[in-house]
Amino acid sequence: MSAGRILVIIPARDESASLPRTLREIRARASGLDLLVVDDGSRDGTSDAARAERVPVLRHVVNLGVGAALQTGIRYALERGYDVAVQLDADGQHDPAFLDALTAPVLAGECDVAIGSRYVTRTAYRAPLSRRLGMLLFSGVVRLLLGQRISDTTSGFRAYNRAAMAACQQDLPRDFPDAPFLIALARRGLRLREVAVEMRERTAGESFYTVGKALYYPYKNLLASLMAWLKRPA
Amino acid sequence: MHLTKIQLITAAGALGLVLVVLDLVRRRRLSEEYSLLWVISTLVVAVLGFSPSILTAVTRALGIRYESSLVFFAGVAFGVVMLLYVSVRMSRLAQDTQAVVRELALLRLALEEQQDGSRRGVPRGEPA
Repeated sequence: MSAGRILVIIPARDESASLPRTLREIRARASGLDLLVVDDGSRDGTSDAARAERVPVLRHVVNLGVGAALQTGIRYALERGYDVAVQLDADGQHDPAFLDALTAPVLAGECDVAIGSRYVTRTAYRAPLSRRLGMLLFSGVVRLLLGQRISDTTSGFRAYNRAAMAACQQDLPRDFPDAPFLIALARRGLRLREVAVEMRERTAGESFYTVGKALYYPYKNLLASLMAWLKRPA
Repeated sequence: MHLTKIQLITAAGALGLVLVVLDLVRRRRLSEEYSLLWVISTLVVAVLGFSPSILTAVTRALGIRYESSLVFFAGVAFGVVMLLYVSVRMSRLAQDTQAVVRELALLRLALEEQQDGSRRGVPRGEPA
């Protein structure tokens, strides 16, 4: 691991089943990083599961949303002077073996945000059709508005440098930190880059993207994407 | 120039509502800020209901056929404005909640680290 202090932020809601394994795997596969769990109002002892692994926990007393949980973790990273903050899902979807590949371009100053994408190169990952259609749509929206190709806008495996972390305090929506968020970051002049990673099936827990949200998601994110694009950076 | 039954009922209802709103403010169940919109709009409805000449004049000026339609229209318009206002306030409230919950989480961890540190002499969770 290169010089530069890295914090891996794991937003978790009711993930006590998969969280310990995820934490242990990160420790085993990647050394020299600090871990932080943000418990977004879990009711299943997610905080205790993290503390049992001796990982510091920031606990939201009420559920705020995955974007809000990420923002809390990034606030912590900013306050404690970390150079890079990595966002990684608690459910075991993201392979910590790719942490180095993800953080390298950020540490090298080649980009401000690195997005771990399952579609940069052909990987084994197969998403359901609705999900793939959504990704295609938002990938198109991002390309239309930014002129940049981001194939995996919903990836929850990303690395941010301090400039990006500071922008997160303004731009992170409390629910889905996806296309509109990336557009807002790019509009601030931050450089985004995709890094090819493998993703696995979730080991336990429920996806943040449930059926109820399937209808709201496209509406919200199309509108928010447009708003993020219209907004002139301060 | 005639006061229809429905206008009377509307006016009386509006006045009653003003009293309820003021009583809620008195008992600190409703903030003055929110009461303002309610008091103004219900008073307008009450005045229109009680004074047929004003009502008729406004109705004519707006090209509306029936006086009672105007009263209902005013009521609905107020409802829409109030709902929009409440939606805006709720969004703001959600942002405030988020900030408070975040701050609480950060403080709680800092406190735990401090207590842990004083117990063991080494800060836990402190980056190496």
